[in-house]
Order: sequence, then C-alpha cells, then structure tokens
Amino acid sequence: MAEKLAYLWPEVTLFLATCAVMVIGLSPSAAVRRLCPLISGLSLAAAGIFAIGTTPTLADGAEGLMPGMLPYAKAIIAAVGILIVMLLAGTVDRGEEEELAAGVRKFDPLRLTSGEFYAFFLFSLTGLMLTASADSLIWLFLALELTSLPTYVMVTISTARSRAKEAGVKYFFLGALGAAIFLYGFALIYGGTGSVHLGEIHHQITLQMAGDGLNGITLAGLLISILGIGFKIAAVPMHYYTADVYQGAATPVTAMLAFVPKTAGFLALILLCSAIGWHYGETGHALPDTIRLLLWVMAVLTMTLGNVLAILQTSMKRMLAYSSIAHSGYMLVGIIAGPGATFTESGISAVLFYLLTYGVMSTGAFAVIASLERTHAERTQTGELAYDEADSIEAIRGLARAKPLLGWSMVICALSMLGFPLTVGFFGKLPLFTSGIAAGELPLVIVLGINSAIAAFYYLRLVSYPLFDEAGDEAGGFITTPMRTRPAVAAIGAVGVLAMTVFAGPLMGLAHDAVQPKLHDSDAPIADEAMPTEEAEPVAAK
Amino acid sequence: MMISPLLAAADTAGVGVAPAWVLAIPFLPMLAVVLTTLCAISKNKTKLPAWITVGCLAGSFVVTMLAFMTLSGETNTVTAWRWFDLSWGDGVGQQMVANLGFYIDNLSLLWMMFVTGLATLIAIYASEYMEHDVGKGYTRFFFAFALFVFSMLCLVMGDNLLLLYLGWEGVGLCSYLLIGYFYKKPEAVAAAKKAFIVNRIGDLGLAIGVMLTFVHFGTLEYAELFNSAQLQGYIAAVQEGRAGDVPLMAQLIAVFLMIGAFGKSAQFPLYVWLPDAMEGPTPVSALIHAATMVTAGLYLIARMLPVFLVSEWALPVVAWVGTITALLAATIGMAQFDIKRIMAYSTVSQLGYMFAGLAFLTSTGGVFHVVTHAFFKALLFLCCGAVMHGFAGQLDLRKLSGLWHMKGWRIVSVGMLIGCLNLAGVPFTAGYFSKDMILAEAFVTPGYGYSLLGWVLLLTAGMTAYYTFRVFFRVFTGPVQFEAGDEHHGSDDHGQDGHAHEDHAQGHFHPHAPGIRINAVLATLSVLAVLAAGLYFVSPDKHGWVGDMLEESTAHNVYTADHSAAAMFVIDGDTHGAHGHDDHGHADDHAAHGAHGGSILGMDPHKVMYYVSAVFGLTGILIAAWAHGPKGLVSGFIGGRVEAGKCRMDGVAAKLGPIPRWAENKWYVDEFYHFILVRPLRVCSHIFHMIDKLLVDGLVNLFGYLPRLLGRGAQPGQSGVLHGYALSMAGGVGVILFIVVMVTL
Amino acid sequence: MTTLAATELADYFPLIVIIMMAVTFSVANVALTLLLGPKRDGKVKSIAYESGMNPIGTARKRFNVRFYLIAMVFLVFDVEVIFLYPWAVTFPNVDRLAPGASEWLIRILFFLFTTVVAYLYGYRKGVFKFD
Repeated sequence: MAEKLAYLWPEVTLFLATCAVMVIGLSPSAAVRRLCPLISGLSLAAAGIFAIGTTPTLADGAEGLMPGMLPYAKAIIAAVGILIVMLLAGTVDRGEEEELAAGVRKFDPLRLTSGEFYAFFLFSLTGLMLTASADSLIWLFLALELTSLPTYVMVTISTARSRAKEAGVKYFFLGALGAAIFLYGFALIYGGTGSVHLGEIHHQITLQMAGDGLNGITLAGLLISILGIGFKIAAVPMHYYTADVYQGAATPVTAMLAFVPKTAGFLALILLCSAIGWHYGETGHALPDTIRLLLWVMAVLTMTLGNVLAILQTSMKRMLAYSSIAHSGYMLVGIIAGPGATFTESGISAVLFYLLTYGVMSTGAFAVIASLERTHAERTQTGELAYDEADSIEAIRGLARAKPLLGWSMVICALSMLGFPLTVGFFGKLPLFTSGIAAGELPLVIVLGINSAIAAFYYLRLVSYPLFDEAGDEAGGFITTPMRTRPAVAAIGAVGVLAMTVFAGPLMGLAHDAVQPKLHDSDAPIADEAMPTEEAEPVAAK
Repeated sequence: MMISPLLAAADTAGVGVAPAWVLAIPFLPMLAVVLTTLCAISKNKTKLPAWITVGCLAGSFVVTMLAFMTLSGETNTVTAWRWFDLSWGDGVGQQMVANLGFYIDNLSLLWMMFVTGLATLIAIYASEYMEHDVGKGYTRFFFAFALFVFSMLCLVMGDNLLLLYLGWEGVGLCSYLLIGYFYKKPEAVAAAKKAFIVNRIGDLGLAIGVMLTFVHFGTLEYAELFNSAQLQGYIAAVQEGRAGDVPLMAQLIAVFLMIGAFGKSAQFPLYVWLPDAMEGPTPVSALIHAATMVTAGLYLIARMLPVFLVSEWALPVVAWVGTITALLAATIGMAQFDIKRIMAYSTVSQLGYMFAGLAFLTSTGGVFHVVTHAFFKALLFLCCGAVMHGFAGQLDLRKLSGLWHMKGWRIVSVGMLIGCLNLAGVPFTAGYFSKDMILAEAFVTPGYGYSLLGWVLLLTAGMTAYYTFRVFFRVFTGPVQFEAGDEHHGSDDHGQDGHAHEDHAQGHFHPHAPGIRINAVLATLSVLAVLAAGLYFVSPDKHGWVGDMLEESTAHNVYTADHSAAAMFVIDGDTHGAHGHDDHGHADDHAAHGAHGGSILGMDPHKVMYYVSAVFGLTGILIAAWAHGPKGLVSGFIGGRVEAGKCRMDGVAAKLGPIPRWAENKWYVDEFYHFILVRPLRVCSHIFHMIDKLLVDGLVNLFGYLPRLLGRGAQPGQSGVLHGYALSMAGGVGVILFIVVMVTL
Repeated sequence: MTTLAATELADYFPLIVIIMMAVTFSVANVALTLLLGPKRDGKVKSIAYESGMNPIGTARKRFNVRFYLIAMVFLVFDVEVIFLYPWAVTFPNVDRLAPGASEWLIRILFFLFTTVVAYLYGYRKGVFKFD
C-alpha cells in the first residue's frame, strides 16, 4: 500500500481537487464558483510536480510493467491537462453565469452545472493517470472506465445544442459496447492465464509461448481486448463514433476527447503489449504473430481510412476527428515496433513522445476553432444560451490577417500535425518511421509514408486558408470569443510546438528514459531485478 | 606549395568550449520576446515593450562585447542542449544530431557585434519612431523586432547548418511580419507576400544544400565539417590542381547554398522583393533590409567558404551575379524618385559588391564592406525615416528641398551627408576602403572575365556616387521647399493621428523635427560611420581590422590558401612568379598576385585602385552637383537648382529617350516575372482547380454513395444511426478477428 | 494447443452449482407464480409496467430530477455499507502493533471522507430539501 501510494500522489491530488471543485462549484457566490477552473489547473500543476517527483524504484516498478513510464505519462497528462482545462473554462457555465450576473435567473444549485463539469474533467484525468499506473487487469478496466464515463456526460452538457445530446448518447452507448468488448477480453485473459496481474500474465504468456504457443483462451482474450481498447483510440473498426461525437460536442470538449481517451487507450495498449512482450516472431523482437497481424491490420486500416475521409470534410471538427483517427494509426506502428535500445529504434518511446506532441498541437488547433464564435449567441428551444463556435473551414479564411494570433497559431499547429520538417510534429513522426524500419516492418512504414503524404492535402488547407486567402463572408460572421483563456491556449499551443521543436532533444530523452529501465533488453541485468521470476532467455515461438 | 593553414588548423587548433554566459547573447532577445508577449497578453498600452526590447538588446550587445574581448581569435562552441538526436547507427551519415549550440569564432563575432549593436540603436530610434502606434501595434512591432534579433543571432551563431536554417527561416518570418506590419495597407500586404514567396525559392535552395551536406559529409556541424578529412582532402586536391577529383555532389552543395544566399540577400534574379519591402516601418528597413538580414547570404558564403572553394562553378557564378546585380540596381536607383527606394536599390547594389568581393576571394573585402555598409546604410535609412516621419510620409525627392537650412534638421542633414560620403566611396571614408578592396581584387584575381567585372564595378561605383548625391543635393540643399505627404490618409506608417501637425485645409504644414532619441541615435551612428574608416588603419598590413579578425576564422584560412587554389581557374595557367609588392606585408597574398601577373600598370593593385576609384566616385558626385546641386553651390556652373522639382537633369533625361522611363520602371523586371511566372502559374492553378473539383467531387460522391449502398445491402430495415454504428463495430470486430485467426492459424 | 486439460473440470464444480441454483430459482419462481397465483386479467394488468409509469404517450415526458437524485444518494450509502461491513468485521482481528496497521484506519477514513464529500455535494445540490 505504502509503496503504491508513493506513485499515486498525483492521482490523490487530483481526486482531492475533484472533491473540492464539486462542492464549491455549487456555492451561491459567483466569486467562489469562479475558483473552480483555477483549482483544477493548480491541482493539475501540483499533480504534474508530484509525478515528476515520484521516481518509482524498481521495487515499485515490479507492480507495473513499465515503471519508468509513470512519471513521464503523468507529467504529460498534467501538462496537456492544464491546457485543456484552460480551454474548458467557462464552456458550460458561461451562459448560466451571465444570466445570474444579469439577474435574469435566480441561483438554483440544482440546475447549475459549473462545478460538475470541472469535477468530471478531473475525474477523467484521475482515471487517465490511474491507467498509467495500472498493474492488474481489474485496475486497468476501472481506470479506463473512470476515464471514459465522465466524458460521456461532458459531451452531453457541453453545449445547449441538441446535437451535443445526440453525440453524448451515441458516445455513451458505443462506449459501453467497446467497454463490454474489452472487458470480455480481460475476462478471457484471466481465464487463459489464471491471473489478473500483468506481471503474472507476462510470466504465464512467456511460459505458454515457450511451450506450444498461446492457448486459445488467452489468445482470444488478447485479441478481443486489443480490439476493444481500439474504441478508446478510435481505431478501425471501433472508430465509427469519432466524427459525430467530435462534431457534436463543444470544441473545448472535442479537444479533450482528442487527447484524453486516446492517451488512455495507448497507455493501456502499451501495458497489455508489454505484458505479452516483444520477444517473438521471426526476428525475436516482435509480438506473437497473431497479435502483430491484428495490430498491423488495425494500423493500416486506421491511418488510411482516417486520412482518406479527412480529405473530404469541410467541417474542421470532422476533419480533425478523422485526422485524429489517422494519428492513432500512426502510433499503432510504434506499438508494433516495440521498445528498442536507442530512441530511434524504440517504438514505445516514439508513441509516448507522439502523445505529448499530438496533445499540444491538437489542443492548439482546437483552441483556435474554439476561439472563433458566432457574433450572436442564440437561444435553443429550451431557452438556454448557445454560443456556436466556428466549424466550417470557411471560417478561417484570411485569419492570419484578420486575427494574426489565431491565424498563425492555426498555421503552426497544422504544419506540425502534418509533420512538416523542423516542427515538433516531424520529430514526433520520424521515430515512428525509424522504429518501424528497425523492427523490420518495411511495408507498414511505406503505408505510413503514403499516409503522411495524403495528410498533407487536408492539413495544407488549414495552412493556406488562414495565410493566403482573403476573408470571405462566412469568416466575417465570427469574432474572437471574449473568453480570454481560449486564444491564450491557441497561442500556448503554437508556442509549445515551437518550444518543443527547440527542446526536442531533451524531451525525446525523457520519452526514451520512460521506456528504458524495464524494456531495455530482456536479458539486461535491470530487467532481471525487476522480474526475478522471468526466464532470462525468452524463447522465440517456433 | 605552402601548407594550407586550414589543414594545419585541423591538426592543432581544436575547437574550444566557450563559457556558458555566451548563451545570454541569443537568449536575452528571446527574453524580450517572452516579455513583450506578456505585455501583449496583459494588453499593455504603454511604451514598456520598447524599453524591454532596448534593455535586452543592449544587454546582449554588452555580452557580445565581453565575448569579443575574451574569446576573439579562438574558435569556441557552447552547447545549450542537444537539440535532437536521431541516430540510427554509428557510421558516417547515420548520426542525425544537432545541438542547440553556438559557434563563436571571429567571423560570427563580427556579425554578432554589429547585429546586436545596430539592433540596440535602432530599437531606441524605433521607440520614438513608432510612438504613434503605442497601444495599437507597438507591442507587436517590438515582439517581431526582438524575435528577429534572436533569429538572426541563431543564424549567425549556430554551430550547425540546421540551426542556421532555423534562424534563416526565423528572420524570413520576422521580415514578413514586419513588412506587413501595416496590414491594412494593400501594398504592404502584397510586399510581405512577395518577400515571403521570393524567399521561399532561395530557401528551397538552402534546404537542398543543407540536406546534401548531410548526405555527403555526414555531419552538419561546422567544427566537424571543416575538420573532416573528406573536405580537407578536397581542398588539398584543388590546391594540387586536381579539381576534377572533387565529386559532383560536393560541388553541387555550394551551388545550392548559393541559391539560398541569393534569395535572402536579394541578388539577381531574386532581388525584386527587397525594394518592395520598404513598405515596412523605416527602422525595420534599416535593420533588417539594409544592415543585417540581407547580409545573411554573405555570412553563409563566408562561413561555408571552404565548401565553396571546392566547387568549380559556385564562386564564378557568385561573382557574375553580384556584379550584374550591382550594375542593374544602380541603374534603377538613378531613376527613382522615392528616396527610400533609392536607398533600397543601393542596398541591392552594394550587396552585389559584397558578393563579388567574396567571389574574388577577398573575404576580407566582402566582410569589411558588410560591416561598413551596415553602419552607413542603417544611418542613411534612419535619416530617410526621420524625413518621412517629419514630413508626414513624404519621400519624393522632387517635393523636398533645403532641409539643411531648416531648424532642427541639422543632425539629420549631417548624418545623411556622412552616409552619402561613405556610400559614394569618397576617399578616407570607411566605404572607400572597403569598396576598394573588392575593386582591386577584381583585377588581380584570375577568373572568367573578372577584369571586365572590375570595370563594371568601377562604373557602378561612379553611378552610386551620382544617385547618392542626387538625393543629398535635392533633399538637403537648395531652397527650403516642401510638400507634406498624404500620411493622414493612413497610407503610411505614422501620422494617422495628425502627429505631424499638418493642416491641409488651410495649406499649413509644420514639419515635425526629430526628437531627442532619434537625433541621439543618428549622431551615434554618424560618429560610428566616421570611425569605421579607422578600422582600416588598425591593422593595415592585414587589410584592416576585419582582415585581422578574419585571419583567425575559416573564412580567412581559406583566403590565404586561396590563390594557389584559385590558380586552377586560370585557363592558361601562366605564371610569372612573385613580384613581391609587399607594402602591406602579407607576402602570401601578393605572391599570389604575382602568380597571375595581375598588377595594374606595374603597381600594387590596391594602391592603384585608391586613385582610380576616388576619381570615379568624385566624378559621380560632380555630375550630381552639376545636375542637382543648389544655386550657388560652387559657382554658376555647378548647381543652379532653384526649385525643388526642377533640375538640369530633366533636360538630359529628355534627350535620352525612353531609357530613363524604363529605368524608373525598374526595367520592367516585375512585369517580366509576372508574365513568365505568375501568369502561367495562375493558368496552371486554374487547370488544377478544375481537376481538383472533378476528382474531389467525384470522390465525395463516391464516398457518399458507397456506404449508403453497403448500408442498404447489409442492413435492411435499420433506421437508427446508432444501431448502425454498433452493428458495424461489432461486425468489424468479428470480421477482423476472423481474418486474423484464419491467416495465422 | 489448448492447455485447458491442465485444469480439472472438478475445479469448476462450484460454478456449476451456482448456475444450477440460479436456473432453478428463476424457473421455480415463474412456475410457482403460474401454479399458485390467481389469474385475474384486465386492461391495466396487461400493460408493460403494471405498477410503473404509463408506457403510452410522449417519450419526452419530464420527471422530477429529485427522483434520480434520491436514488443516487441512496446508492452512495448503500455502497458505503457494503464496504463498511467487511471492514468492521476484519478490523478487530488486525494486530494494532504490527507495522502498517494504522493504514487500516486511514484507508477507511479516506473512504468515509469520499462519502462525506458525496453527502456534502448532495446537500449543496439541494437533494435534502423537500418542499
């Protein structure tokens, strides 16, 4: 317990903040209510500091399979989380607060949603951090669900528009289906290996592979869990909800959806795959064939489908939704490649680094969209105020001239997402390529290359529309939102992209260290300490 | 055959480690960027951003001077951190590593000093010049200004080509932002776009050059590159006359880098963006488009001189292009009426000189001219800016006259005079010494038609003197006459708020003499421009202080090695042996002169050139005085202009037919580019647009149709979208599982 | 390839018993109702939720939100009790002097704290106001 607590302090911090926010969000005083986003942000900062401070020793690390991953993952979650909370600030309570201030409405705690909204967000991030620290399947499942459940509600209440409700319902039902699928998979893994502890599962799988291969139940369990977790990262075939939900939710919530569930899914995948181990296949450094093939098919379908569909979109949110599918596909390449000795050979550090870069640049891009709102707020049928953000790509025509801050932020973030050389997106994508090559997955890398080229089509629209076009009528219908934090997030996103470009080396080093301690090499002395029961020389299949 | 100092340097002089405080030089401007951003966020409406910028830049300058005092003469690097490390092996060409590190040698120190020094002065000037914009664009201006200085320092100090590239793009971006500073003005926006796009062409060349460097040499770091056995081998091969041994790839690197240099430094045919860039605020024109950024191309060539030297074609092309640019821009400059534009063309022209200087293997001359030009051209621009500031944006020299005699304009006038004397190359000014060095070398360096280029450059020097003093005589001397500009219409960068106190309705206009800060900066720069001449006398045996500085850097090491290297370019290869004109005491230099028998009239070329170029310069000034000088300047013959708008040149121009008009219209180069490049591109883009529409629309329809078809076929009776999704997901899971299991088992 | 043979079928015996009990229980209940219950049929009796809401009519009918709130607050206390019982049963057996024993108390106090927060939230939200 005590040793677990040692690395759970970030989660505890967030949880306490959640409690505080939930209660004070219902305070009758507007000044006190306004503290909610501030407390959320501060608690995230504190959690980040705790995360950096906790360096799980190998003794602790034996609990999870990637002890080094904890501080890194939690720190990036906290960092991007702060950006997102700045973006979320005021999303749902703006109309309410304005009406309360104007005296149109009386204070009614039952109808007020300001506190809950932030509390849900913090709950979700608590779940996300817990995912990183998971050491058993039960923990993993609970953490994943703690991450997702609040997001369903957040989508639903994010705007007064009915499309948000529709999106919320879709997301909830499909999310439940996804959860059911991977829960079923987890159950089968338990059936096949006799344990829910990842370390023990790893041991059992090593034994099974040393014998006559994985037994049917374990294999089925692994395949089904990976497919189910595919829902969190929006991978084919679990991607259907993405575009509708992203479009339906208010943009700040969309920005959150692009980062939080995806990160949870990838952390879970990393944990699951490291429980399987990259010691098999022809090279002896790959996942077992069946699982590799599954991830392979998922990766190819996901990135291709995401990119091809993104080209056709005129709605920026749908475009970014499909592009987020495509980015998941890219990252799956890293999962297939597995860890390696150097940064360029390690697909896992590539994924961890990519999560950070994707988080910053996509949040920046969404923040630009969120900063543009219609000149007039409308009332919905139920009488609530709805502030509509920009969605059509027409809205950003000539933005670099009309609103230089937003325009340039969009240009920088889009260039980075495209992977333009000398942006951090490029540094993020490069190790995915190199690790793929190092793992001998040349065809996959070629598909990845082709897809990066396809992606240029639609990302360059996000660059050229603000930069080179004249503002049209449609663009004139939007003003910069009075909520100051949103343009600030856009700027921070762009500056973050530039700063991470400059500090790419150290950040890559951190991402590499996050993987190194355990997964360096199975026969390295460190690994032996961490896994005393593990056989020193894993036997390749066949 | 003497041993190349570069080869020797590889063995002995290692690259040292500079102290960490050197990092403050680039990071202080970065701090200014951050602070001004904070000002922007907090909606600061005071002059705070200006003082932050001035403070940080001054700090940076002080640290630079410290670095100069302690580190000059050595080659040091200091690494802030490893920028990225993408090695995929240990072999050569597999270690894609770049540090955020800085390379401090005499060449970079030289640039650092004038960049930070001038930036500080111009920031002070701008703090007054931009006053009318306080609370509007003031913060934005200083943000971009500080960012520019940071990028420029990265460019100059970076210890690898990638950092140089980053700085290169950074200065391009800042230039774009600052040219388009008055974004409500269509010309400014168009000019910004033009600069951006033209620069892209050059940047592509640079990018390819950098990539080839990595592919060929396997490193991007200067220290490794210059000391690599490969490059040393090439240099040795060239020195021994085996230029053919250098592989094509190595030769191409210099060519691509050269294209990059031409774009950034506004050389023919990519010079067209620079004159338009004058739409930006004048301090920007002075700093970016005259003194610093446009010399980036020269820095690139000077820095990479060892690489350029192994290329058979790069330097001759540079020489020709530089000379053509110098001549072309000078002819255009003679016919312009906008004084800022004249200065812009003169910048293009002078940059041509510097390129030619580098190509004539006198990096000392080229770089010396960079330094002196930086000071006097910044001074000239700032004077023009003061005029523009005071006369509500008036820049037409036909509408201004006699500023010398007006109250409050004396410092501006004196500053202008000093600048003009330097630019015209009047004896004993800094511009005179630096230009002569280039001219003399043109006649003695063997190469394809270099003596012809020398004569062209001499002629250009005369033309330069003419157009420079045309401006001075017309605007500053003669009767006091002026017309206010139309700035209150918002056509230019200041005075929208009636700052210049004009009152057009009643025909009263009171020029607004510059204030204390502008005057102080002008006075300082004037003094510096005068003192710059003294740099020559610091160490005359090495061609002045700059030569002294460069001797310690790679740019010069090659220079001393060059003449034997250059011998390979001599077609006849005829050698006379050393003449031993050793008045300056640089024996190897003049041994080389002897090697191609290139003395003029049996005398040392430098000495001859002092007289010849002085004659050309003074002749130009005399013609200007005859045509544009005020009545009573010397006698009835010289001068005689009594009105602002009329002069003796009008009669001459009339006799020349359409030529002056063609020159005024810049020889229709813009129109030509428009015709051969922009038009066809536009047609192409229309065609592509059509294809795009057909193809993409087709795809849209296809993708719209397919799922519906599939949906109808697979799920009869399904009405709810959610059900469809759930079914597809479950079905997808089933299908994929089935496939995976079938394939592997 | 399966290693299921390694696990004895006998290990699953308790599972089979539970399944059988579940099936028996439900079958028995339905059967008993059919056998013992009086058979009175009517209009109200044949609607889907005989003692619940009227299933015919608009689906957008509004409920008093308190209906759910009370259910949820009940859930909070319900879960609390479920955890408190096993804790209370085991706690007397804990060796209070053993290292780490205090954690037993801290853990349940933390758990109670979360319940208090839930209660506070409910209170603030006005769940306990019956007007």
